[in-house]
Amino acid sequence: MTRRAPGRADARNIVRMASSLPAAPAAATRHFADDLRQRSDTALAALLRARPDLATPSPSTLRSLAARASSRTSLERALARTDALTLQVLEAVLALEPLVDPSAPLDADVVARVLGASPTELPRVEAVITRAVEHALLWDAREVPSDPADLRAVPGLDELLGPYPAGLGPHLTPAPDGLTEAVGRALGPGGPAPGAALDALLAEAPPGSRTILDALAWGPPVGLVPAAGTRPRDAVNWLVTQHLLVRSDARHVVLPRLAGLALRDGRTHREPRTAPPEPSGRDVPAATADAEAASAALELVRRVRLLRRTWDEEPPSVLRAGGLGVRDLRRLAAVLETDEPGAAFVVEVAGQAGLVRDDGDAPPSYVPTVTDWDDLDDAARWARLAQAWLSSRRAPWLVGSRDDKGALRAALSPDLRRPWVPRLRDGVLGVLADARPGEGLLLAPEPRAVVEVLTWHTPRSVPPASAVEGLLAEAGWLGVTGAGALSAPGRALLADDDPAGALRAVLPHEVDEILLQGDLTGIVPGRPSRDLARLLERTTDVESRGAATTVRFSPASVTRALDQGETADTLLDELARRSPVPVPQPLDYLVRDTARRHGAVRVGSASAYLRAADATVLAGLEHDPTLAGLGLVRLAPTVLAASVPAAALHEALRERGLVSALEGPDGRVLVARRGVTGRAMPAPRSAAAIRMGSGGDVASRTPDPDELVAELRAVEEAARAGARARAEAAAVARSVADAGIPRPARTGTDGPPPDAGESSARLVVDPPDDEPGTQHPADGLALVRDALRTGSTVIIEMAGHTGRLERRELKPLKLDGGRLRALDPDREAELTIAVHRIASVLPTSSAP
Amino acid sequence: MPDGPLIVQSDKTLLLEVDHPSAEQARRSIAPFAELERAPEHVHTYRLTALGLWNARAAGHDAEQVVNTLIEYSRYPVPHALLVDVAETMARYGRLQLVQDPAHGLVLRTTDRAVLAEVLKSKRTSGLVGERLDESTVVVHPSERGHLKQVLVKLGWPAEDLAGYVDGEKHPIGLSPTTHPRTPHEQPAPWEMRPYQAQAVDGFWHGGSGVVVLPCGAGKTIVGAGAMAKSGTTTLILVTNTVSARQWRDELVRRTTLTEDEIGEYSGTKKEIKPVTIATYQVLTTKRKGVYTHLELLDARDWGLILYDEVHLLPAPVFRMTADLQARRRLGLTATLVREDGREDEVFSLIGPKRFDAPWKDIEAQGYIAPADCVEVRLTLPESERMTYATAEMEDKYRLAASASGKKKVVEQIVAQHPDDQVLVIGQYIDQLEELAEHLGAPIITGATTNKERQRLFGAFREGEISRLVVSKVANYSVDLPEASVAIQVSGSFGSRQEEAQRLGRIMRPKADGRTAHFYAVVARDTVDQDFAAHRQRFLAEQGYAYRIVDAEDLTTPTP
Repeated sequence: MTRRAPGRADARNIVRMASSLPAAPAAATRHFADDLRQRSDTALAALLRARPDLATPSPSTLRSLAARASSRTSLERALARTDALTLQVLEAVLALEPLVDPSAPLDADVVARVLGASPTELPRVEAVITRAVEHALLWDAREVPSDPADLRAVPGLDELLGPYPAGLGPHLTPAPDGLTEAVGRALGPGGPAPGAALDALLAEAPPGSRTILDALAWGPPVGLVPAAGTRPRDAVNWLVTQHLLVRSDARHVVLPRLAGLALRDGRTHREPRTAPPEPSGRDVPAATADAEAASAALELVRRVRLLRRTWDEEPPSVLRAGGLGVRDLRRLAAVLETDEPGAAFVVEVAGQAGLVRDDGDAPPSYVPTVTDWDDLDDAARWARLAQAWLSSRRAPWLVGSRDDKGALRAALSPDLRRPWVPRLRDGVLGVLADARPGEGLLLAPEPRAVVEVLTWHTPRSVPPASAVEGLLAEAGWLGVTGAGALSAPGRALLADDDPAGALRAVLPHEVDEILLQGDLTGIVPGRPSRDLARLLERTTDVESRGAATTVRFSPASVTRALDQGETADTLLDELARRSPVPVPQPLDYLVRDTARRHGAVRVGSASAYLRAADATVLAGLEHDPTLAGLGLVRLAPTVLAASVPAAALHEALRERGLVSALEGPDGRVLVARRGVTGRAMPAPRSAAAIRMGSGGDVASRTPDPDELVAELRAVEEAARAGARARAEAAAVARSVADAGIPRPARTGTDGPPPDAGESSARLVVDPPDDEPGTQHPADGLALVRDALRTGSTVIIEMAGHTGRLERRELKPLKLDGGRLRALDPDREAELTIAVHRIASVLPTSSAP
Repeated sequence: MPDGPLIVQSDKTLLLEVDHPSAEQARRSIAPFAELERAPEHVHTYRLTALGLWNARAAGHDAEQVVNTLIEYSRYPVPHALLVDVAETMARYGRLQLVQDPAHGLVLRTTDRAVLAEVLKSKRTSGLVGERLDESTVVVHPSERGHLKQVLVKLGWPAEDLAGYVDGEKHPIGLSPTTHPRTPHEQPAPWEMRPYQAQAVDGFWHGGSGVVVLPCGAGKTIVGAGAMAKSGTTTLILVTNTVSARQWRDELVRRTTLTEDEIGEYSGTKKEIKPVTIATYQVLTTKRKGVYTHLELLDARDWGLILYDEVHLLPAPVFRMTADLQARRRLGLTATLVREDGREDEVFSLIGPKRFDAPWKDIEAQGYIAPADCVEVRLTLPESERMTYATAEMEDKYRLAASASGKKKVVEQIVAQHPDDQVLVIGQYIDQLEELAEHLGAPIITGATTNKERQRLFGAFREGEISRLVVSKVANYSVDLPEASVAIQVSGSFGSRQEEAQRLGRIMRPKADGRTAHFYAVVARDTVDQDFAAHRQRFLAEQGYAYRIVDAEDLTTPTP
C-alpha cells in the first residue's frame, strides 16, 4: 500500500522503496467498496446512523457512499468521536497491514496481542473492532465468509493518522535479516518475542547502536544523523548498512517498521488504553450530595423568582448587539447575592426556560413572561429549569470573557450559542453518572479528571477544560450535582424519570413554624412552607439561608409588610399563630411602634392642584358632577388635587365660571397660554411575545437511514439490470449530450463484483429519471483520491476553456490546494485542473 | 444524628437549639472552635471563623475532631464545602513554627516549603526575617517576633509559637487560704478559687500565653492572681485606669501572700516599680515630643508574666509596644473578644489564642453572677424638643436626644421604684449628670473627681452609707461595687456594645440575698438615641438578656 510521503521532497525515496514492496497488500483482489456492498441493509442503516454526515446529502450510489466514507472530512468527523482504544486499534491495524501475509490474517487476536491487551481485555478489543467495522473505519478483507476476519483500515485513514501510525516508521525493503520472520512469529499466537533476532543482529554492532535504536523505538522514528567522524555516526552508518536504519535524506534517518516492532517486542503500543481512566476525586456520602443538591435547587428557584420580580419592576434594556449589559448584570448579582458568573447563569437558565425574554418594544427590554411557572411548587419549578438547561445549546460560562474582536460576551446574547454544548454536557454528566466508588458513596470528580476521561472517549477532539469546568459549575448551581457528585434529582433528570419527584424526595421537610426570639430574630429550623416563606419574605430580612433560615425583623422590614397592607394586629396574629412560643415583647413593641409611625407622611400623585386663600371658594367643587372628569380630591380645606394637567384644569374651571390663574413652580402667576399641556404619560409597556434565541433551533433534516439504504439498493439493482441492457459508451454519451449542463455522474464499480460470476463485466449505472441529486463534489473528489491511492485512472468531466464539457480519462497524480495534477495516458501529457472545473468523476472500471 | 440539636449553615453559622435534650453536650463540643455570636432564648448562633479554628488548633483540637463534632450533632447533612474549608483552614495553623534554634536563636521553621516561600515573598515580611538557613528555616530577629506573628496571621498562615518564654525574675507569690481583712474589724474568711477560675488558670498555663474570656463579675482578678501564683515571678499588670489599679492592688493584697510593699503603682501620679507593678494604659501611651516616655517600664525588670486587664480595650499603641514582649508569658483578661475596632486578630497574634471561655449564662446559672432584668424605657420627647431635634445639625442630634430633659423625671420614677436597692445612675454627659445628681440629691463621680474622693464615695456606696450614686463613664470598668443592684443608663457613648456589657457588669456581682439586678436604659423615642440603644442592646440580647421595652408613660405602675 502506498504511503503518502511526508512533505519533504527527499522523503520520496521512502515512498518508492515502499511501493516496491514485494508483498503486495492482500486487499488487491477486494476493495472497501465491495465490503460495503456486501453488508446487510441493517448494517448499512447502522452505518448511516453512526455517521450521519454520510447521509447528507443523500449519496447516489453505494459506490459514492464508500467514497464518501473514506473521504478526509467524513473520516475526520468519525475519528473525532472515537475513543482512545479504537484509535489504538486503528493505528495497530494500519501499522500491521503491510506486514501480514494472506496466510496469517489480521484478526482481533493479533490486534489484541500487539496492543498488549490481557486475555480478559480481549472481549473489549473485539467489541471495539466490531464497532469500528460497523462505523466503516475498518473493513474485513476476507474473501470467504467462513475465514477468520482479516482487518483492513478504510482507505484514507492512513492520511489522517499521520505518516507514522503508532510512532512506527515506514515498512521498507530490504528488511534486516531474519526480522521479517521473527516479527511474523511474534504476531502469531504464543509467538516468541522478536528480541532474540534483534540481539543476534546487534551482536557485532559498534557501541552505542542499541542506544540509538532505543531512542527511536517508541517514536517518532525519525532521527538526526550525527556529525561525521563521531562514534555515534559510525554506529548509525553500521545500522544503515544492516537496514536497521534507513537514510531518508542527507540529515535524517528513519527506523523501519519491522525494526521498530522488533524493538517493541512485537507490540505497537506501550499500554493498551482499554478503559477510560478512573476519575480521581473526593468520595461524598449520597445523603450529603442530595442535601446540597436540594439546597442548591431551592436557591436557584428562589433566585429565578427574584430575577423575575426584579425585572418586572425594573426591566433592563437589551444591548444593541443583543444580551444584557455588564452593569445590569452586576446590579442583578448584588440583588441575587451572588457573583457575576452566578447571576449570568440564573439569567441564562431563566431565558432557556422561557421565563424571561426580550419584550420586542423599541427600545427593547428584558421582561418576565406570563407563565404558569409561578403556580408550581418548588420542585416542579426546578424541574422546568433543569430540563431547559439539559437541552440548552448555550455556553453561559463564557459571559464576561471577550470574543475575537475584544467585545465582552453578554448574558442572553445570541453569540453564546454553541452547537456542541449538549454533547459535551452529556459527556460530562456521563462521567459523573458512571462513577460509583462504593455503597452509599458518590464520586465528586475533579474537573481535571473529568477532562481526562472525556479525553479517553474522544482523544482527537479534547473538550476545553474551561467548558468542562463551566458545565460542572452549572450542574452544581442547578443541584444536578451536590458537593460535586451527581445527586438523586440529577440522576432522575438524566433518566427523564420524574425529576421533580426525585427532588421532592430529598428536600428537607417543610416547616410551618418560626421560633421568634427576643433579639428580634426568628429561626425556621428547616425548609419554610410556602405560606411561611411568603410571610417571611414580606416581613423580614433574611440573615442566613441553608438547612435552616434565620431572619431578622427590623423597622424597615416591618414597614415593608405594612406597605403591603398588613396592620400591626394582623401581622402579630399571624406571627403568633406560626410561632410555638409567644411573640417576644421587643418584637411586639417593634411592630406596634413601626405601625404607629407608618403612614405619618403620605405621598400620592396628582397632575395639578387648585388652591385658594378662602376655603369657601373651593367648597363643593370636588362633588360637582360637571367637574367629575378632573379627578378632584380635597387634600386640605384650601387645597384640591386634580388628575388632569394644569392647563386642562384651568380651562374646565373657566368654563364653569370660576376664574382661576395659572401658577408657576415659584408660586407666581403665569400668563395663560393655550395648548400648554403636561408631558404625556408613557404608554403602558406591552409585553409582545418575541421568543428568545432558543426557539429558532431547527435541526437540518436528515433522511431516514433505512429509507436511504433501500434507495441505494434500488440504484444498485437498476445498475445491474442496466449493465445487461446497455453499453457503457451509450450511457455516457447520453449523459454528456444532455443540455450541456454538468450532468450528475452515475458511478458503477471498477472492481469485479465479488458475488456474481461477471467479474469482468463493466457496470455503469444509468439511473432512472426520477432519481434525486447530482453528484456531490465530495463524492467526485473521493473517487479521485481513491484513484490516487490505487494509481488507477478515472474519467473526468470538466468544463473546458470554452465552457463546454470535456471528458477525459486521466490518471490523478496529486490533489492539493484545490488543484488536481493528472496524467493523460492517451496524450502522454500532464495537466493541472482546478477542482471547481470538474463537473463529475466516473471510474474507469478496467484499464482500456 | 438525624434529630441533632445543631443546624450547620453553609455561611458558617451554627444554630444550636437550646431546648434540645443533647444541646448542652453539643454546646460543650463546639465551644472550643466556634465563637458564640448570639444566645437568645431558643436558638443560639455560633460562627466558625478562621481565628476560632486556629484557636482550637492551638488548644490541641484537630480538623477531624471538628468535622466529626459537626457531623455528629448536625440535624441535616453538613455542607461539604464547609467541611473542606474547616479542614483547609485548620491545616494552615502550625505549618509555620517559631522555635529556638541552638545555633541561630529564634527561627521560623516550616513543614511546607511552599508556604515559607509564599510568606517570604510577601512585602510585609521583609525586614522581619534575616538569613535563610535552608529551604525550610529562616532566622527571625527576636525583636520582630510579635510583628512577624501579626503579619503571618494577616497573610493567613498563623505561626505556632514554640519558642518558649524567658523564666523571668523569680518572686514567690501564693494564694492565701483566707482573705486578709480590708478593715480592722473585718474577720478573715476562708476562700478558694471557683472551679471555672481554676480551669481558666490551668488552660492559660498549659497554653503558655493567651486570653481568658469571662463575664464581668465572674472574678477575672482572681484568675489573674491564680496565674501569678502559678508563675511565681515578677509581674507587670496593665489596667485601664487608676481606680482599677487600686482595686487590683486591694484584691491582690486580700487574696495573695503579697503585701502592699511588694505592689507598685505606675500611673500618672505615682511611678513605683516593684516586683508586681500595676500600670495604666494611659501612662504607657503618654507621648512627649512624639516619644513614648514610659517605655522603659517594660524593660525595667525581668518580668516573668504580663497581665492585660480588659484586653479588648488595649489601645493600638500598646499593641505595638508590647509586640516586643513576645518572650514573656502574657495573659489577657476580658469579658468579650468583640472589639469595636475589629482588631481581634491582633489580640490573637500578640497576646495569644483564646484559652478559656465560659458563656455568661452558664456562670449565672451556677450562681456566681446575679440574674439581671433589662428594661428599655422609651420616652416621648415633648413637641418643643422634637422641633429642636428635627432642625439640629447631625453632630448635635445625639447629645440633644441623649440629654433630653424628660429623662430626669423618668430616672426619678425608676429610683422611686427601688427604695431599698443600691442604685447607680450612669451617663455620658457631665451637664446632664450634674443636673440629675442635684435632682436626686446624690453624690456624683466624674473624671474631674479626685481619686481620693472617688475612693471615699465608692467606699461609702459599698458600705451602704449612700444608696444612690451618679457616675460618668469613669466607672465603666473595673469598679467593684458588689451591692449595686440597679443601674440606670441615661446616655451612652453612641453604639458601643461592649460599654453596654460593662455597665451591666457593674451590677452583676452576686447579691448577698440573691436579688435580681435591674438594668434600665432610658432612651428618647424616634431619635438617634433609640438607634444607638438598639445597637448596644444587640450585644446583650445576643447574650441572652431579653430586653423589655416600656413606654415612659407606663412607668407609674411598678415593674414586676
